[in-house]
Amino acid sequence: MADTPHKPVPRPYQDTQAYWDAAREKRLILQRCRDCQKFQFFPRGVCSHCLGSALEWVDSPGRGVVHTFTIAHRAPHPGFANQVPFVIGIIELEEGVRMMTNIVGCDPNSVRIDMPVKVTFEEATPDITLPQFTPA
Amino acid sequence: MTIEIGIDPSAYLRDKYAIVGVGETTYTRGSGKTTRAMAVQAVRNAILDAGLKPSQVDGMLAYQNGDACFSTPVAGDLGIHLNFYMDIFGGGSSVEALIGVAMGAIEAGMCKTVVIYRSMNGYSGVRIGWTGVRAARPVEGDALHNRVYGWTSAGQRYAMSFMRHMYDYGTTSEQVAAVKVAHSKHASNNPKALYRKRVTVEDVVNSRMVCAPLHLLDCCLETDNATAVVVTSVDRARDCRHVPALIAGVVGRACQPRTDMHLQYGPVSTSVGHYARERLWKAAGVGPEDIDVTGSYDAFTFTTMMQLEDYGFCKKGEGGDYVSNGTIELGGRRPNNTSGGALCEGYTHGVSMVIENVRQLRHDVDDSCPVGPDGHKQHTFDYREGGCRQVKDAQLSTNLGWAGPDKGSALVMRRGTR
Ligand SMILES: [Zn+2]
Repeated sequence: MADTPHKPVPRPYQDTQAYWDAAREKRLILQRCRDCQKFQFFPRGVCSHCLGSALEWVDSPGRGVVHTFTIAHRAPHPGFANQVPFVIGIIELEEGVRMMTNIVGCDPNSVRIDMPVKVTFEEATPDITLPQFTPA
Repeated sequence: MTIEIGIDPSAYLRDKYAIVGVGETTYTRGSGKTTRAMAVQAVRNAILDAGLKPSQVDGMLAYQNGDACFSTPVAGDLGIHLNFYMDIFGGGSSVEALIGVAMGAIEAGMCKTVVIYRSMNGYSGVRIGWTGVRAARPVEGDALHNRVYGWTSAGQRYAMSFMRHMYDYGTTSEQVAAVKVAHSKHASNNPKALYRKRVTVEDVVNSRMVCAPLHLLDCCLETDNATAVVVTSVDRARDCRHVPALIAGVVGRACQPRTDMHLQYGPVSTSVGHYARERLWKAAGVGPEDIDVTGSYDAFTFTTMMQLEDYGFCKKGEGGDYVSNGTIELGGRRPNNTSGGALCEGYTHGVSMVIENVRQLRHDVDDSCPVGPDGHKQHTFDYREGGCRQVKDAQLSTNLGWAGPDKGSALVMRRGTR
């Protein structure tokens, strides 16, 4: 059987290298500003709340609720072809930030807004592991 | 120091500029033409419609998504000598904003008359749905927390706003399907619309799911075409062929609550109109209750609903009722997208919806009504299939442009006098 093309994967850069390194170790980490103590997602070089630049990495337990979602019935890329229909969701984490993810390990039609979810990890390639979420 | 200017600065250009010409090419799926050739045709038609010569046009604004030619060769092909031009990156929130930019360029003395166009082979060339060549692009920059999860097409990106709207307000698929039903009725009275077949709510909710809660018929067309409008000062408008559509007020490319990833901030079931509406109505000096015909961007059925709600045409959360109770249909209190819009007529990132409202304000929409001895349409106001689509005595129109829940532009136009 021919190789299935893998999904598009991120190309880590300076601000995000630590995030993807942690994901490969199956850890979800979030950025927190030392000046205003607020979390932000995704990672960047400056705090978008207060312009502070003293940002630290904090381990997240990866718990939250579904804020909203869609069920994609068409593959946006050949790498998703064997996954349709699949759920693209926005998770509101306990830390107060929202992040995009796929909601996996359940029937897409069972997903509901405000449903509790927890992080899980998908090895997309040997180098890249994607944080994903599944019903808690 | 306080500067006393004696007038509200947001309103000081009210009714001083106008759209005097409109033009388009045929809506097709497979134009067989370059975006340059289509743009030339649409701009030519708009200039002729205005009753101008190429030598009287000296400004050009165009927008694109990396999918079309630039404005300079188009101007050259038409023998236009430019004193000002600009090509910008943009989609559904561009045309209203560029009308404001054109006013600013003329006001600054950079040029006198500006043509704005959008040309796209949206079906046979680069497709908004991100299938084909775009999907294979490497993921980098700020795409790495969304594209890797399959968040790519416009449907996938926006469906989540409607999903949350359903949760917050109880809005239903059947309610927004009424937008497609209304626009299909309008398109059936528009000989140039690509899809002129009337559909029912059942047709929409029984069509296949593309990205829940959006069905196939909740999504707009992809077409190949070009569209153009001519903007000039009200003084020059007096020498043009038609009653001018005066620019009463414009807001351009408002971005709220923020645009890096709107789904992460603020209420997801609210669009930028909520934040932009005060500026729009203050600039125009009228309110939503004064408007006769709307052009709320219909990339999807729900985008029409959400914007009408957020710009204040009904209370927040009551958009589902507003779009399904007859108000937005021809013959209703305030018809929306009387051409059939992007859902039925064709798709050019918003210019077509401004063109339609200009024709409405001229009382001269291009339906099948007979032409009288004065060369103008003798409208019957019989809105049955194949009939009239002129809104009776239309005086004020609004266009609500959507580039996402977080990014929008809006325009109020008023019927002028000769
Ligand atoms: Zn901070």
